[in-house]
Amino acid sequence: MSSLYERLGGEAAVNAAVELFYRKVLADGRIARFFDGVDMENQIAKQKSFLTMAFGGPNSYTGLDMRNAHKRLVAKGLNDSHVDAVIENLDSTLRTLGVPEKEVREVAAIANSVRDDVLCR
Amino acid sequence: MTLSPGETVLEALLRAGVETPHSCRAGQCQCCMLRAIEGAPPEESQRGLTEAQKALGFFLPCICRPTAPMKIVPPDDAGAPQEATIRAIEPLSEDVVRLRIETENFAYRPGQFLELIAEPGLSRHYSLASCPEEDPFLEMHVRLHPNGRMSRRLSADLRAGDKLHIAGPRGTCFYEGVAADQPLTLIGAGTGLAPLYGVLRDALRQGHRGPIRLYHGARDSKGLYLTDELQAFARARDFTYIPATLDTGGDVATLALAAEAPRAAHTAFFLCGGENLVKRLKRDLFMAGASMKAIRSDAFTPAG
Ligand code: FES
Repeated sequence: MSSLYERLGGEAAVNAAVELFYRKVLADGRIARFFDGVDMENQIAKQKSFLTMAFGGPNSYTGLDMRNAHKRLVAKGLNDSHVDAVIENLDSTLRTLGVPEKEVREVAAIANSVRDDVLCR
Repeated sequence: MTLSPGETVLEALLRAGVETPHSCRAGQCQCCMLRAIEGAPPEESQRGLTEAQKALGFFLPCICRPTAPMKIVPPDDAGAPQEATIRAIEPLSEDVVRLRIETENFAYRPGQFLELIAEPGLSRHYSLASCPEEDPFLEMHVRLHPNGRMSRRLSADLRAGDKLHIAGPRGTCFYEGVAADQPLTLIGAGTGLAPLYGVLRDALRQGHRGPIRLYHGARDSKGLYLTDELQAFARARDFTYIPATLDTGGDVATLALAAEAPRAAHTAFFLCGGENLVKRLKRDLFMAGASMKAIRSDAFTPAG
């Protein structure tokens, strides 16, 4: 069977999702403050890596990368509720794009699997 | 440096002990970006970059397996300074002067910026308002600050015939990757008009057919300049010139956002001016539906 990444449409699907996802995240009052002052281009590239990972696509992220990338945010108070909010926005992005329920849940499960690394636990 | 079979440029650099930033190693994060100044990077290694970046030879070494020799430099490399001769320094408005200089072999795109070096230790970045296809000179618009060192040099010491040095060009704020019939919106304040003027002329020269709108913000009407030239364009083409001055209640960002947000998703944007203005416009236009790839910007921090 083809991978989740391929079933979702590969890189084209990531491209379609990334800006929509980032718009939702920035508009979400629960988490927007973590993006204050960040360079948007740069951040969109990071969102793209995140979505590639969440779709189960080619990436070489390690737990260590995740920890390094989020250390500063954990110090600013990043916790489970914020990770929940991100995954919620990811779900709603995929639904907006017409992704079937089964795949939405698979993506959420992959995103969830890095929770401990993101929160540096 | 010779690559082993199947090796990427990033792997080869790291093997040779060259410190170079990288993270995902999969062409996603773009933090490894380098630039080829000789030889064309394989198409695959430019995946996800903007048309402007591609045109300048930027590529991602972590997914680059070259088939022909390339000469590569760090992404912000400006090259060696070269000599230039001042041709004219003349007023455009109360506190903005037009600086025209001549140099040999300086390849650039209108809207890019260069480093102007008046003497060792005195250099500033200025955007290019000229068009290489039409102008035999490089044109910059310089705002004069009463206490600025460069301002004083330009207004008091330097005159036509004097020599200085330039390096560059740099920046990706130029007409590339815009569809000919796409709406094109240019928003700037102060001397942010310089790159926009270059982009505007380049777009017209390249046969842009879609509607073009240019918003220029200034404190008061004395801060506007090139108004006659812009009004002449507006009479001849599908081009709208929208000056916005604070003293008549028109903040350029507010005005432009209100008008542009509803059509943001299909428009190509160029934003030039102070950092706060550019940041605000970029974010609000993106949130209104503009694609990040369709927003080109050049923010400057004032320095005299
Ligand atoms: S290391 Fe991430 S794009 Fe090259």
